[in-house]
Amino acid sequence: MSRLIVHQTHLLYSPAVRDLAERALDTAAAAGARYADCRVVNRSVQELTVKNGEVALVELNEDTGAGVRVIVDGAWGFAGIDRLDAAGIDDAAALAVRIARASARLHPEPVHLAPASPAQGAYRTPVERDPFAVSLEDKLDVLLRTDAAMSSVAGITVREASLEFVKEEKYFASTEGARIAQTILESGGGFDATATSDDEVQTRSFPNSFGRHQVCAGWEAIEQFDLPGNGQRIAEEAVALLTADLCPSGRMTVILDGTQAALQVHESCGHPTELDRVLGSEAAYAGMSFLTPDLLGTFAYGSDKVTMTADATRPGGLGTFGWDDEGVAAQRVVLVDRGLFSGYMSSRETAMAIGGESNGAMRADSWCRIPLIRMTNVNLEPGDSSLEEMIATTERGVFLETNRSWSIDDRRLNFQFGTQNGWEIADGKRVRLVRNALYRGVTPEFWRSCDAVAGPREWRMWGVVNCGKGEPAQVMHVGHGAAPCRFQNVQVEPAS
Amino acid sequence: MTTEEAEELLSIATETLGQVTRGQAEVIAVRQQQELTRFAGNVIHQNVAESSLQLRVRVIDDSRVGVAQVRGEVADGPLRVVQAAEQARSLSGRSDPSPLPSPDGVADSPAAYSVATTNTSPEDRAGIAAAVVDAATRQRLEAFGSVSTRTTRTAIVNSNGVRRHAASTQASVITVMRGRSGAGYAAGHSPDITGIDANAVGVEAADTCARNQDATAIDPGEYEVVLTPYAVTDMVEHLAWMGFSALAKQERRSFMHPGSRMMSETVSISDDPADPGSFPFPFDQEGVSSRRVVAIDHGVCAGFLYDTPSARRDGVASTGHSLPQPNTFGPYARHLVMDAGGASPDDLVAAVKRGLFVTRLWYVRDVHPLRTIITGMTREGTFLIENGKIGRAVRDLRFTQSIVDALNDVRGISRERKLALGEDESGVLTPWLHLGRFAFTS
Repeated sequence: MSRLIVHQTHLLYSPAVRDLAERALDTAAAAGARYADCRVVNRSVQELTVKNGEVALVELNEDTGAGVRVIVDGAWGFAGIDRLDAAGIDDAAALAVRIARASARLHPEPVHLAPASPAQGAYRTPVERDPFAVSLEDKLDVLLRTDAAMSSVAGITVREASLEFVKEEKYFASTEGARIAQTILESGGGFDATATSDDEVQTRSFPNSFGRHQVCAGWEAIEQFDLPGNGQRIAEEAVALLTADLCPSGRMTVILDGTQAALQVHESCGHPTELDRVLGSEAAYAGMSFLTPDLLGTFAYGSDKVTMTADATRPGGLGTFGWDDEGVAAQRVVLVDRGLFSGYMSSRETAMAIGGESNGAMRADSWCRIPLIRMTNVNLEPGDSSLEEMIATTERGVFLETNRSWSIDDRRLNFQFGTQNGWEIADGKRVRLVRNALYRGVTPEFWRSCDAVAGPREWRMWGVVNCGKGEPAQVMHVGHGAAPCRFQNVQVEPAS
Repeated sequence: MTTEEAEELLSIATETLGQVTRGQAEVIAVRQQQELTRFAGNVIHQNVAESSLQLRVRVIDDSRVGVAQVRGEVADGPLRVVQAAEQARSLSGRSDPSPLPSPDGVADSPAAYSVATTNTSPEDRAGIAAAVVDAATRQRLEAFGSVSTRTTRTAIVNSNGVRRHAASTQASVITVMRGRSGAGYAAGHSPDITGIDANAVGVEAADTCARNQDATAIDPGEYEVVLTPYAVTDMVEHLAWMGFSALAKQERRSFMHPGSRMMSETVSISDDPADPGSFPFPFDQEGVSSRRVVAIDHGVCAGFLYDTPSARRDGVASTGHSLPQPNTFGPYARHLVMDAGGASPDDLVAAVKRGLFVTRLWYVRDVHPLRTIITGMTREGTFLIENGKIGRAVRDLRFTQSIVDALNDVRGISRERKLALGEDESGVLTPWLHLGRFAFTS
């Protein structure tokens, strides 16, 4: 097995890195910062893609730099730099201070941070097999076998399979005394099979849409996905969808598979419980939230079947870590408790607005971007039903699998989703495959109509790798534990 | 870009290329600095700057391709990135890789570059934010938004002798103003920060916000609409994503039928990398000169965007619309332009008996690409038009609409156009549109 040259290891344990972080803090403090923190990050990514039987991409990426965040004169400043030497770090600290002073011109009330114990420690994603220790040959073999499985199905016009592995090493230090080293490992993979006719294009994806499913785990996750073993089945479904009947129209029962339930949770619970959105930080871009603080503890968000948590301690999720990017320890936060709106994800600054402490949801997608409140693992907790039972007890409805389109308004109320696959249900049985299914609704009405959630056996941690927020834009990897769940009286129709 | 800066970046790219020991190679060197000042509730709440150097190497030999990319200035960066690319290549499977392009002999046209944008200071950005906030406070509104500047220096060299470099800048002032019960949006974008009138942006948003109060519900259904360029930008961008790429045509997932008239004769849409009204840039990510491609010519599907791999398949020349190779996405439009008409925005509104005026769309997503169906919401300024006049504010609505169908019933196009940013932050130059039908679904 060849060692991959591009990936530096043990960055965090380099005294030079720690010295640079200390230098950043000292420089900022000497220039007038009453608070400063520094993150030094090295992020390595392997991407492999096979398309239509050929290796389309083998790419090794490395991204290294430091971000210095300060409060000066009561206002924030931040500078990110990729020059990791004394002069570079001095420049970054000085620029962050200058920027903060400029911010203070339009910042009459000083920033206050909720207290947090300065943490010192280390965290590493537990893995059975380090994905960076698996050869590229073995990885390509998985993709080529997946491609071969899809190619056995007549009518598939485009086949694409990919793997991605991420190793992020970061060192965090603050003027309050936090000193934290973390190594986060991610493994992801998936494939798409596309079939086309003169008037239709149908793509089926596995295990999830958006190119892949991803988790904080090692190579063992890829083996569990069993991409090759599902290639033929998924390709056959794509071909079958070309001639399937259109999804029926009307108000009916909707059952979502775990992947679509995960995205529904992401859009309609995850984003509206980000406290920075609620307070207006994102008003000019991502929007605000219908879950205003006056509703906390009183608002019926969903039915009593619905409990949602933001849990950075749950193993395997893309939002699983030791500490967030403000140095606050990973936590489990109840957002919706048996239907009642119960909590937000917060930061040290926003927690002050509701009189609490940060619950550790500040994350940055890079050394050069500030941490924002981001989802950790926002989960729909398991219920006591099963997919089989839900279908068996449905008189008229559809079972919808794997996201195809998604849209929600800027307060996270009015949504419309489309899925790749649909199954019409009549009298407790799947009766036919249907295509181009759309369903839409309004968040609290929808979750109040939830009358069943599958149990732990069907509950799984899913990964969303394209969550956008912030300016400059940041793309975060977040986790969502979910299981199939059922909703009543939902508007369904075909896209046609 | 000064000569010294260009030479320095070309020198880094050339040095990196020189580290390649076998086969052919391409190096893309990008030095970027970006600053952004964000405000909310009339206060600067986030204020950031970043700078970086990125090297990307593609190595081709023995029918194998390897790619590596390093961001971060380290002493042995060129050597490390080349070694990684060669390692990726050696472990990759054999395929039929697209060859590297050769120099096309086209002289570089100027990129959109402004020294003033590059030199904008944190204090300058705070001052611009203050100008927008002033426009809000004059009307007792709250301002949210951002002031941003970005300078990108790009050098591309390859073993066939391609040697390109350019510097570009992009500046934006964006605001949402919020009142008691509604909001208004406005934005200005330009290569040159001094070309954006922050006060005018603020006044526009404040005016929309002042009118967008106490909105009332209106029944979903089909309405005539007048769309501002902010909204038209989303439509044009999604239309390009769903069909302008030659790869989409080759994979039979494009809505485009060459030679067929699919839209009103007044509709012409192109990708024009040299249009001075947008963010001109002379070459693509393979170093191939980017040419204007008319995709929709007076309603007729006229042309596709090509990169080297898709051009090779069709036996034609690349149009210079490549993303970094190799990729599975295909050619990409970054300079979309919709032709102007002859009306004023007021003329368009005056021609509507009953319809809706839509300031902005939000969270637009493809629903059925082959039928160009998209969905999304209206946001920050939706008004009822009655008897040719903009009237009361209406609550935001969801639309689900085929773009081709909408553009096949164009009743009017403004002569004035505005530069807006697409979701991918590329510039899109579009007019106001009056459309005969637009389907609002909830």
